[in-house]
Amino acid sequence: MTPLSITDMTLTCAAGTGLDAIRRALAEGNSGLRANDFPHCELKTWIGRVDGVEDTELHGDLAEFDCRNNRLALLGLQQDDFIARVEALKARVPADRIACVIGTSTAGIGVTEEAYRDMGEDEVFLNRHRLPRVHTPHTSAAFAARVLGLNGPVLTISTACSSSAKVFASAARLIEAGLADAAVVGGVDSLCLSVLYGFHSLDLVSDQPCRPFDRARKGLSLGEAAGFAILENKAAGGYGQLLGWGESSDAHHMASPHPEGAGAAAAMREALARAQLPAHAIGYINCHGTATPLNDEVEARAIAQVFDQPPPAASTKGWTGHTLGAAGIAESVFSLLALSDDFLPAGLNLDDPEDEWAGFILRQSRQQRVDAVLSNSFGFGGSNCSLIFGRVAS
Amino acid sequence: MSLRFDVIGAGIATTGLPDWQALEAALDGHGLTEDRETPPSALLSPRERRRAPRAAKISFAAAEQACAMAGLAPSEPIAVFSSGMGDLDITDYMCRTLKDHPELLSPTRFHNSVHNAASGYWSIGAGATGDVTAISGWRDSATAGLLEALARLTDSDKPVLLVVYDDLAQGPMRDLWPTEHAFSGALVLTRPGADRPLARLAATTSSEPEDHGALPAALINRIPDNPAARLLPLLAMIARRGPAVTLASEQGPGLRISPVTT
Repeated sequence: MTPLSITDMTLTCAAGTGLDAIRRALAEGNSGLRANDFPHCELKTWIGRVDGVEDTELHGDLAEFDCRNNRLALLGLQQDDFIARVEALKARVPADRIACVIGTSTAGIGVTEEAYRDMGEDEVFLNRHRLPRVHTPHTSAAFAARVLGLNGPVLTISTACSSSAKVFASAARLIEAGLADAAVVGGVDSLCLSVLYGFHSLDLVSDQPCRPFDRARKGLSLGEAAGFAILENKAAGGYGQLLGWGESSDAHHMASPHPEGAGAAAAMREALARAQLPAHAIGYINCHGTATPLNDEVEARAIAQVFDQPPPAASTKGWTGHTLGAAGIAESVFSLLALSDDFLPAGLNLDDPEDEWAGFILRQSRQQRVDAVLSNSFGFGGSNCSLIFGRVAS
Repeated sequence: MSLRFDVIGAGIATTGLPDWQALEAALDGHGLTEDRETPPSALLSPRERRRAPRAAKISFAAAEQACAMAGLAPSEPIAVFSSGMGDLDITDYMCRTLKDHPELLSPTRFHNSVHNAASGYWSIGAGATGDVTAISGWRDSATAGLLEALARLTDSDKPVLLVVYDDLAQGPMRDLWPTEHAFSGALVLTRPGADRPLARLAATTSSEPEDHGALPAALINRIPDNPAARLLPLLAMIARRGPAVTLASEQGPGLRISPVTT
């Protein structure tokens, strides 16, 4: 494939609002997780809740998109001068040639939950909940395209926790097919009762802050995030390049990974093949690493199948929680920061590593220059996506 | 810019149009059929059929026909499932349970609530280990699905199964999604040069309003009922080698799809 440049990006998650805050949290090892204080939720758990979402208001023609997910999206778009960077992009590429591809799993379901909670016995939504553009999975892409004034293809990818990794592949294909010349990709997922109680019903949520790849890991911590990136085919510079991607299906179970990690390994191999890179060219892996007992072991074993000598690898979910449909973009941003800042983060809360099968998991964050980073995202439905980002040629 | 592609399989499943033969009969002026229903999925085992959500049952009905017509095992094509609203039956269940008894939420229904439940069950049922994806374009999910599917043809020489489906809403969501009939339509697309395809077509981006050739009233009446049924004129055009159709989009480009005569 022709490499695409990531010329701008931004991320808002529990670890920080905007890239500077996130860089500080990474350097200082400060987790964004807190004891659960999400309204209407009694569960004893830890969450990666973003401050300031409630205070971000949608006015004017954005009001018809009002929901936590789109408020979080707007808060995210307002960081790192991202809206101005997209305006600058529109001066280079016509708006009808810029695709907008956004991943989400929760979309606006939080408002649907609220509408059911607040409706009377007549079973009619209150007026403030009668927002057709909110109660659809497509709400986030439609909203981002509206805010940014983009008029190329507007697509939502919703494949659970791989959603906003797959946006890179989808956008790259639209550009390759000549349907766009550039793209804004991203992912937005917000905390809501569906995911808090849903993952709890599956016994996948820890009552402690999550501990990816630690022997004592007991499950995930849920989080929320909004992240966005600009992909261009003609520009040099920026944070890095998209060198390859791999997408596969487990064809095994809706909620459990393939026991040998066959689908995960296939996605990593396809990404390497597309990037035309040998496995040893990868200098760091940002793992999916949700911190459930099964997922981390399966992922580590899949990595060991693909890499004779796996590079340093870590999960950044100790900072953010598992941001589900936004995990792909959040961890792409972490991967691109690793490339551009020469800084490889280790996982948080990793006290007792599983050396028998995960000896390559990084124990201590370190300064190190690497040329290529792999980011894994795996989701319900057995949906797998691996991305490879490379250093910008200097 | 024009993207050429061939259609090697197609399927349809909705009230009165249980399969491709029923569509052809309706195009011949015989109206909709009321004495047949789409048979249950052959892909799902009886156990999976009980667990599978409505979104899977609705979408598989057309998808299995399209693969059979294309002579492909369902595991072979890359699959793109496009739906504006996903599984509205489960949305209703989730929101009612979270309102009254959140601790009693069913784990199975929770993992079936993801938008890629239909595509996930497809991958499991078919044994499809290649990419199977789930997208949404709200009321423009037919156009969104075609854009994603066409882009995939430039990237891979595998056939691409596109399934566009939407259900009717349950409970209070009916006000916001007033659809009467579930609908699914499916196409198997390949790069140009297929041996004896159903149709050889070309797609160009378009900013024109939605448009299609003449259709019997029974079919015309179904198009505004369900946004997924906006695929119907394209299916009819493929069935009858009709003139070009235009699928519009509220945001971004629509697509004008024309027959290629060579």
